[in-house]
Order: sequence, then structure tokens, then C-alpha cells
Amino acid sequence: MGYAASEQATAGAVSALAIKILVAGGFGVGKTTMVGTISEIRPLHTEELLSERGVGVDDVSGVESKITTTVALDFGRITIREGLWLYLFGTPGQDRFWFMWDELSVGALGAVVLADTRRLQECFPAVDYFEQRGIPFVVAVNCFDGARRHEPDKVRRALGLGGATPIVLCDVRERESVKDVLTTLVTYAVKGVPTE
Amino acid sequence: MTAADPGPLIRLFGLTGGRARPVGETFDLVAIVTTVSTYVQPVEHLPEHLTVLSLCRSPTPVADVAAHLRLPLNITRVILGDLRREGLVTIDRPRPAAQTIDERIYREVLHGLRSL
Ligand SMILES: Nc1nc2c(ncn2[C@@H]2O[C@H](COP(=O)(O)OP(=O)(O)OP(=O)(O)O)[C@@H](O)[C@H]2O)c(=O)[nH]1
Ligand SMILES: [Mg+2]
Repeated sequence: MGYAASEQATAGAVSALAIKILVAGGFGVGKTTMVGTISEIRPLHTEELLSERGVGVDDVSGVESKITTTVALDFGRITIREGLWLYLFGTPGQDRFWFMWDELSVGALGAVVLADTRRLQECFPAVDYFEQRGIPFVVAVNCFDGARRHEPDKVRRALGLGGATPIVLCDVRERESVKDVLTTLVTYAVKGVPTE
Repeated sequence: MTAADPGPLIRLFGLTGGRARPVGETFDLVAIVTTVSTYVQPVEHLPEHLTVLSLCRSPTPVADVAAHLRLPLNITRVILGDLRREGLVTIDRPRPAAQTIDERIYREVLHGLRSL
């Protein structure tokens, strides 16, 4: 039994694949909701040294230098089959956690940038970030109740996006809607990467 | 000073020797960790190490190992780096995601997502 299990593990190592997708966007735009709608959220956090990363942001005056802060991440897993998963990571919304983005974005297949039409400008930093690093992204406009339904073209112009970047209107509370966003992203990332 | 219980922090310190970064080649959050099949269970290992070795008989991404251990990600990575140095686990090399997804996997993912 033990032997068979080990053999399986060795074989699996060749083919196991975890695909990473980031969910970014401004404060309170619906990142956590989106991850929770489509996957089981699992607790994940990290400890970072404030002295290393966040100097001048958190008030650490009068306290010894080696203080850690806990950064909680939205983390969801979608199992496609044994050995093939999609992992969703919500990037922390607060500015002082920007350093986490570099860590999160390494090797990512792509990103969903969530936008709220009432404050579109809040997703500029995320759009810039992914554009600069050549990480494929889709803009998902979370249509909060009562929010004006922007035409995708207006959003495209407001964000200064190139023609290839998909823009999807969505409701992050609806599973079908989130599935739509993710399939659009996966297809864009795999098939639609504009030629350099 | 705060009145926070120092217990957990001391425990974390013991697991990593206070190190903030893992030894060796860096690895991604979703790099696959696999227990080396021939390992002989070393009795002197910390419970957390044994948990990893048992969990990763089935190839498991780093972030899942952290969630399973209920330990911070950075602490988990230090532990994984140590186990790798001892030759007890392998951690796959980072690969650009788009290159690892061939047509078959792409279809599987789309189909999997749609049937959720
Ligand atoms: N009416 C409505 N409420 C929504 C929608 N999406 C999210 N919300 C609510 O908006 C609030 C913020 O959503 P979250 O998912 O926590 O947003 P977040 O981006 O994770 O927020 P931070 O992590 O704080 O940046 C929650 O109370 C949600 O229930 C939506 O489409 N419609
Ligand atoms: Mg959130």
C-alpha cells in the first residue's frame, strides 16, 4: 500500500499542475466575494516583518524593530480533476500590502481586475501593474445594485485599455457570472495574448 | 507593549529558527511539493515536518500545504526549504503558466469551469 502510494506520488509530480489566477481591484470592490462564490475559501495568511516592508506606514514608534504584521489573503481552490487545480488569490486591497503583489504574480496565468463603475479610478493601479509586467488580465465590472451599467466601451476608454483586453460585466455574487469571467480570462491568457 | 500571547510566536520561531526566507532556490506559491518516495520516516522530525511529508505523498501546491498546516505562508516556505535541503521533498521549478497549458489542459479547464 505504502509503496503504491509513493509510486503514485512520483508519477503525479510530473503531471500535477496548479494554475494561479489573481483577483485584484480597489478596496471593497468584491474580491473576497468573487473568490467565495466560485470556490471554497481557505484560510491563508503570511507574516511579514514591518521593519522590512512597511516602515513609515504602520505606527511602530517606540516599539522594537522586529514586529510582524499578518497579511490575510483570499485563497480559493477549484479542483478540475486530481492533479489539476485553479487557485484564486485575492490581492490585498490596501496600499501597504503592495509588496505582496510581486510575490503573488510570479507565474500567474492571469488576473481579474475588478472594477466598480462608481469609482473606476481605483483599479488604475492594478491595470498599470499587470500591463507593466505583461500579465494577461480581464477587467470585470462588478455591477453593484443601482450602479449605472457602463457600456464596456466607455470603461475601455476610461481605463485607457487596448482593444484586446476583455471587459466583462459581472455580478460577483452569481456563480454563473464568475464562471464567465474566469473562462474569458483563461481563454484570453492561453489563446489571445497579443503578439509582442 | 501588547498583552498578546507570545506562545504562538515563540512556536513559530522554533520552527524556523527565526528565519524569514527559505533556503535554496526560490519557489512559487503554487509550486508542487512532492514527498520523495523512498524516504524513511525520520523520528527526530518536528510534527509539522511529518505532516508535510505525509500530506505531500500526493503532490500538493505550497499554498495548500500552508492552509493545511494552518501556518503562515512564509513559515511554511522555510519548513519546505529545509525538507528539500534534506532531500525529503521535491518542489517543482517555476514555469511560465501559459507554457504549461497545452490544448488538452486548456479544454479540461474550460470544461471543468463550465460544469461547476
Ligand atoms: N449589492 C452588491 N454588493 C456587493 C457586490 N459585490 C460585493 N458586494 C458587497 O460589497 C462588500 C465588499 O465586498 P468584498 O467582497 O468584501 O470586497 P473586497 O474587494 O474583498 O474588499 P477588501 O478586501 O476590503 O478590499 C461586501 O459587503 C459584499 O457583500 C455586488 O455585486 N452587489
Ligand atoms: Mg476582501
